Amino acid sequence: MKIEGEYLFNGPRAELWEVIRDPEILATALPGTKSLDKVGENEYVGEMNVRVGPVGGLFSGRLTVSNEVPPESLTLSVEGKGSPGFLNGMGNVILDEQGEDKTLMKYEGDVQVGGKLASVGQRLLDTASKSTIRQGLEALDMALQARVAAKAEGKEVEYTPPSESEFVAGVAKDMARQALSSRTVWIVIGVVVIIAILVVYWISAGSGS
Amino acid sequence: MTHKYIGKRIQRNEDPRLLTGQALFVDDVNIPGMLHAAFLRSDYAHARLKSIDVSAARERPGVVAVFTAEDMGADWKPGPPLVSPPPTVKDVTFFSRTQVPLVKDKVRHAGEAIAVVVAESRYIAEDAVEDIQVDLEPLEAVADLEKAMRPDSVRVHDDLDSNLAAHIVQVKGDYDKIRGEADLLIKRRIVIDRGAAAAMENRGIVANWDVKSQHLTVWDTTQAPIPIRNGLATRLGLSAHQVRVIAPFLGGGFGPKMMMFYPEEMLIPWLAIKLGRPVKWIEDRRENFYATTQERAQIHDVEMALTREGRILGIHDTFLHDTGAYDPYGLTIPLNTQSHMMSGYDVANFYSEIKVVFTNKIITTPIRGAGRPQGIYIAERLLDIAAKELGLDPIEIRKLNFIPPEAFPYEHKIIDQAFAPLILDSGNYRPVLEKAAVLIGYDQFVNEEQPRLRAEGRHIGIGIVSFIETTGVGPYEGARITVQTDGKINVATGVGTQGQGHFTSFAQVVAEQLGVAVKDVHLVTGDTAEFHWGTGTFASRGSVVAGNAINASAAGVRKKILKLASEVLKAPEDELELENGQVRVADIPQQSISLGELAALANPLRGAVEPGTEPGLEATAYFGPKYGAAAFGTHAMILEVDPETMMVEIKRYVVVEDCGTVLNPMILEGQIHGGVAMGIGNAYYEKLVYDDNAQLLNASLADYLIPTASEVPRIVIGHEETRSPLNPLGTKGVGEAGTIPVPALFAQALENALAEYNLEILETPLSPNRLFELIQDKEKSR
Repeated sequence: MKIEGEYLFNGPRAELWEVIRDPEILATALPGTKSLDKVGENEYVGEMNVRVGPVGGLFSGRLTVSNEVPPESLTLSVEGKGSPGFLNGMGNVILDEQGEDKTLMKYEGDVQVGGKLASVGQRLLDTASKSTIRQGLEALDMALQARVAAKAEGKEVEYTPPSESEFVAGVAKDMARQALSSRTVWIVIGVVVIIAILVVYWISAGSGS
Repeated sequence: MTHKYIGKRIQRNEDPRLLTGQALFVDDVNIPGMLHAAFLRSDYAHARLKSIDVSAARERPGVVAVFTAEDMGADWKPGPPLVSPPPTVKDVTFFSRTQVPLVKDKVRHAGEAIAVVVAESRYIAEDAVEDIQVDLEPLEAVADLEKAMRPDSVRVHDDLDSNLAAHIVQVKGDYDKIRGEADLLIKRRIVIDRGAAAAMENRGIVANWDVKSQHLTVWDTTQAPIPIRNGLATRLGLSAHQVRVIAPFLGGGFGPKMMMFYPEEMLIPWLAIKLGRPVKWIEDRRENFYATTQERAQIHDVEMALTREGRILGIHDTFLHDTGAYDPYGLTIPLNTQSHMMSGYDVANFYSEIKVVFTNKIITTPIRGAGRPQGIYIAERLLDIAAKELGLDPIEIRKLNFIPPEAFPYEHKIIDQAFAPLILDSGNYRPVLEKAAVLIGYDQFVNEEQPRLRAEGRHIGIGIVSFIETTGVGPYEGARITVQTDGKINVATGVGTQGQGHFTSFAQVVAEQLGVAVKDVHLVTGDTAEFHWGTGTFASRGSVVAGNAINASAAGVRKKILKLASEVLKAPEDELELENGQVRVADIPQQSISLGELAALANPLRGAVEPGTEPGLEATAYFGPKYGAAAFGTHAMILEVDPETMMVEIKRYVVVEDCGTVLNPMILEGQIHGGVAMGIGNAYYEKLVYDDNAQLLNASLADYLIPTASEVPRIVIGHEETRSPLNPLGTKGVGEAGTIPVPALFAQALENALAEYNLEILETPLSPNRLFELIQDKEKSR
């Protein structure tokens, strides 16, 4: 599965670099992450709850950062496995300065998925992964803004990352949005409403007799 | 000869039991103390097994045992191969690599079993599977046939030099010579992808080892109980008489249940003996996608040479055949493809080269059609393209090339899947095609309806294709028939039954010989304790091979009945007739005796039986044909395409079938209905999608679409009858006939419906999405 996209951050590039290189902050941006521990200079291990449609479970994995050119670019490699299957991926991230306080992140990568995650979750995988990435980046942006604001005021950073349930709800919302865009769903909903009206009518007619 | 029972629409003997839930299926078998097995299967398609730790699983309460390949010790053995490579074809290369019970060193396809857990319940066993810690080092996997053949490809089997599993060339005439003389050459690349059999009932095995009688009983969803019994006995070091295999009612076979041995099929009985307790394993639907065999993937580079009149001069084809990670079923599928590429056409020059390829995908073995749909797809597609080029009608070009009726038996001069010369025993093809054209209303549709509907902007098209089906191959089947003292007839035969109506069509054959009601004939199939000689239900051979064995043993019983009745009734044998369960003297109906009374007399408790005679009214007989019987058929359909969604609606579907003598037209029609439904799935809905890493992406019935009632039309069926000269009943098989030509039919009808796009369909299965893409590509290139 190819992953590609960009995201505009509200903060300077050097600050964003600090944010994404901080495992504590990064962990909060990866939905379902239970732990992310630094085990080497550029290596982290952790556990993450993954859910795609009907398939879910705990993944344990390893994250490696390489090809670092601070504060411009880096390469991320992920490998994880667990009861829902496995996931291996590699992606390149480029940070592009857009004026003084904006940074454009461009990312592209290739992810291989196997097991139940691939075979049963396949048709939901694309939406789920895009949504997860978008929400993760939004969370990072929040963290970045909190950091910038704190620095400007010389205060401690005040930032509460979104909870796992908030993440899950967000992904579900995205997936529902996509499903609702198709015409069939509206037809189904239409039919259901009509049936509901008929049932109500029938019950009230029945009780009246 | 007029028949009283054969050829009649008689309701099925087995249906009351099946419809009221009184038929035994493997999952119905429950034995006190029975344990349940679950398998740990690989998520990776290709990986090295570094280590495995089952200690946590073993400690889980309720778990009785966990086994890995290591734990099996000397009992761990690959295989055995099911079919041996052909000895009679020269220049054959074949590397036999058979499936393993549990992965020892390397995983070769996703879903391969790594460990088995046996527990007090399936729930516990499944939970314990998750407790197992397995360290698999992922390797690059190969899914694509052409990539697998590149010299730099990763190898599925490290000990081989490449992924080539087999190589075979068959030649007839001189294609290269004729090529220079041809007016038209049609050269195309045709790609065929995988599908599943998706039987309603998944596989299942229950094994029970009785220590005190030293006897193993196995209930198995197999199409071949007797070979399974023989193989189990050999592998487990038992005598054949210590093993009883029962294939009870099956919820569909379609080929994959003919595969011997699945790893689970060997492991479950082994576990039952090892643990001294009954063990059950029922495959779940996801496992069925990963652990049950699949079929059909091939890539052909093919050329057909023709005269300008449309006569085929020759066919030249090289194809890659996907065998998956192992090749236990030998060359059966690709040889069938090769055998059917000339179909029922008179082709003088033929060059066919097969390369069988190992990939990191699930093993392929025959599925209903078994290589034939691919061969027919090639033949029919090339003829369609040639007809277009030459401005000929698709019906005319076929008629022009049919083997004429006087040319039978017709030798195709190559070796078939049974490694014997491919001979078509009999046939008369033209009337079949003509009848189909009439039933579909071909001329009227093409000349009147279609122009009118097209003018209205409708996308409605017609297709008509023909096919041969080699059926009823040997080696043999047998049956034992006994008249009981209550006058009812017992029949035991070795073939298993998966819904074909054997309990009725075979009973009709017996009723015909013995003059009894069909419902009074009781059949036992697929139980090695009842009959233990035979091979199995495959290659559309039930009605041909088992049917004629039953006919022969019924004839043997009839002889005994007549001999004894002649003595009792004091009348010569030729004056006796068998009717309504009685033997009577033809002209004096009151002078009669019932079969039951006669059976009692044949097995007296006192007195003396004449030396040289046998007790009872019983006979056993066998039948093996010289070679297979070739059936023929034509399918035609009219379909409409919705150009927005590319969904299709089949307006009319016609099948005309020549399968020789028809035993029961109702059962025959049922076979065809089911076959066509499967063919429609093959053609337009069902495709197993693998990614580049050999991961199966649609392993659920939510994503792998099998046709439902709304996709399957009413089917009009016509018959022609060319009896096979190779067996006394004159039957030919029909089990796969419904499925074989459907992909070719869809391609032709879709091209015709979408004529304005001038599409050329060179692949199967299609889908609405794929058809949309093909049209988009066509639009872009315009």
